[in-house]
Amino acid sequence: MALELPKLTYSGKIKEITLGSGDTAIKVGGETSYPFFTFEGTMPNLPRIAMEVYDSTPQDWAPAALEPFNGVISDPLAWAQKCVADYGAEMICLQLSSTDPNGANADAETAAATVKKVSDGIKVPLIVWGTANHEKDTDVLRRVCEAVQDRKLVIGPVEEGDYKKIAAVALGYGHTIAASSPIDINLAKQLNILLSNLGVPDNQVVLDPTVSSIGYGIEYCYSVIERIRMAALTQQDEKLAAPIIMNVARETWKSKEAKMATELDPKLGDSRKRGILLEAMSAWALLLAGGDVAVMRHPEAIKLVKSMITDMSQS
Amino acid sequence: MILVGENINIMSQTLGPAMKERQAAPIRKMAQDEDTAGVDYLDLNIGPARKTGAELMPWLVQTVQEVSSRPLSLDTTNPDATEAGLKVCKGRALVNSVSLQPERLEKILPLVKKFNSEVIGLLWGVDGMPRDVNERCMLTVDLVYKFNEMGIPNEDIWIDPIATPVTGEISQVKACLEFFQMLPEIAPGCKSIVGLSNVSNGTPSHLRPWLNRTYLVMLERSGLYSAIADATDPELIAIARGLKPGTVSLIHKAMDGADIDTASLSPDEIKYVKTVRVLMGEALYSHAWLES
Repeated sequence: MALELPKLTYSGKIKEITLGSGDTAIKVGGETSYPFFTFEGTMPNLPRIAMEVYDSTPQDWAPAALEPFNGVISDPLAWAQKCVADYGAEMICLQLSSTDPNGANADAETAAATVKKVSDGIKVPLIVWGTANHEKDTDVLRRVCEAVQDRKLVIGPVEEGDYKKIAAVALGYGHTIAASSPIDINLAKQLNILLSNLGVPDNQVVLDPTVSSIGYGIEYCYSVIERIRMAALTQQDEKLAAPIIMNVARETWKSKEAKMATELDPKLGDSRKRGILLEAMSAWALLLAGGDVAVMRHPEAIKLVKSMITDMSQS
Repeated sequence: MILVGENINIMSQTLGPAMKERQAAPIRKMAQDEDTAGVDYLDLNIGPARKTGAELMPWLVQTVQEVSSRPLSLDTTNPDATEAGLKVCKGRALVNSVSLQPERLEKILPLVKKFNSEVIGLLWGVDGMPRDVNERCMLTVDLVYKFNEMGIPNEDIWIDPIATPVTGEISQVKACLEFFQMLPEIAPGCKSIVGLSNVSNGTPSHLRPWLNRTYLVMLERSGLYSAIADATDPELIAIARGLKPGTVSLIHKAMDGADIDTASLSPDEIKYVKTVRVLMGEALYSHAWLES
């Protein structure tokens, strides 16, 4: 008797959403099975990687994370263009770190002008990320939405504390919203209900369940993403059936382990390799849980993750 | 359904300070209100009360006994407080609670025997919270064995399998339902109890009654004997007293997955159906579960 492998049948489907617009628009989501379970369902769009760009010169970064961007780290447009031209970035995530009220606290006008400049200078889909300060993000992200009217952005983080004002403007200009909740499946669902009560269509929302890196509670994030996918695919929970975006790089590279020089603790191994591997393995673990877009930094970490995506999808 | 009123609690923003300052008036008022609401027992929860428990508990017992003759549930983890309370308790008290932790067994269980009390056997193991229905059954066997050894008969043991919030793992919410179905076989004659309001812990306070009431009906169907519950919710008490057969049968129908035509239901009935779906794990909980 031939061995018959048990298979799960799914009752739900992840929504397929288009990020960006025009020729370079990218579709994400659309899965009808758990990630890479292509023997049980389909995964029409493989996970995508967005490359990070910062709108202020990075301070306190590991040399390994700076080295690929030598000469462009103080120019967000040049940085974004380098990511596309030299490293083949298929999406850019512009982090508006300059607007942090605890840092440079740049005003909304300046930030919006930077976003517009980057938006005009690249063709790939653009994700714009604030500082998660509700008041400041309300101000900044609304201006950003207004400043870019000729293409569709992804705007985040939109949280329970600021969704009303940001989502209303994003909706008005047709931008996609990254609905961000603090590692809690119930709150993730709650925010999506609130957004849909506000009139935001499902095809304009991606979920940001909040992630961390290896060594900093990644298993908890993994479990939340996994449960979101289970609810969406096996319980037809429409409010959780959205593609998932994950800010992996920021979380990974801020850790002590990613930054510490080799000579400070030789038994942890080569510092450069360590940071890259931490980023790659964190992203990969979260993609296996169900992520659709990983925001990443180091070109070598991205290369590793992409090769793993290819391997998994070909077998 | 036996109801134990939960409202005299050190965590209460008004009664907590009243207990600390030994102000009798607010305590008496709450005891009277609970008495009038028609609960069967009054729970007196003073928390861990490490320092002053041995003075606070007897004061509280006497204050409440001035206005109510309902039996009392003495709710503290401090054995000295339990003993001091038992000494002044007029009727037979319910000791809340004894778990399998050696300290509780050694210190509180002898008091239950000495004062001929009833006792809540809390299914909290040496490793903490049971993870599923099987671990609850194992803990029950151990616990009842230890209690019997001490000379406490099954009839005086109220097993509490620990209800958990709907915002947490839903399998744990369902585990209590399964557990009460199995209890009569595992521990014949034992009674059962849950801290009902745990299920709605962490949810918006004005919506908590929907979860509490629905879960009570679901648990009662599984054989639950009693619940520590909110005495200020008249609808909950009406349900427990069998005065809402329509609500009960609707909740049963929803539990059975029957095809329910929501168009023919009232807004409140729809809320019960939605709440069953959440508690059964058919829909994932969010604060807007009644609206989605």
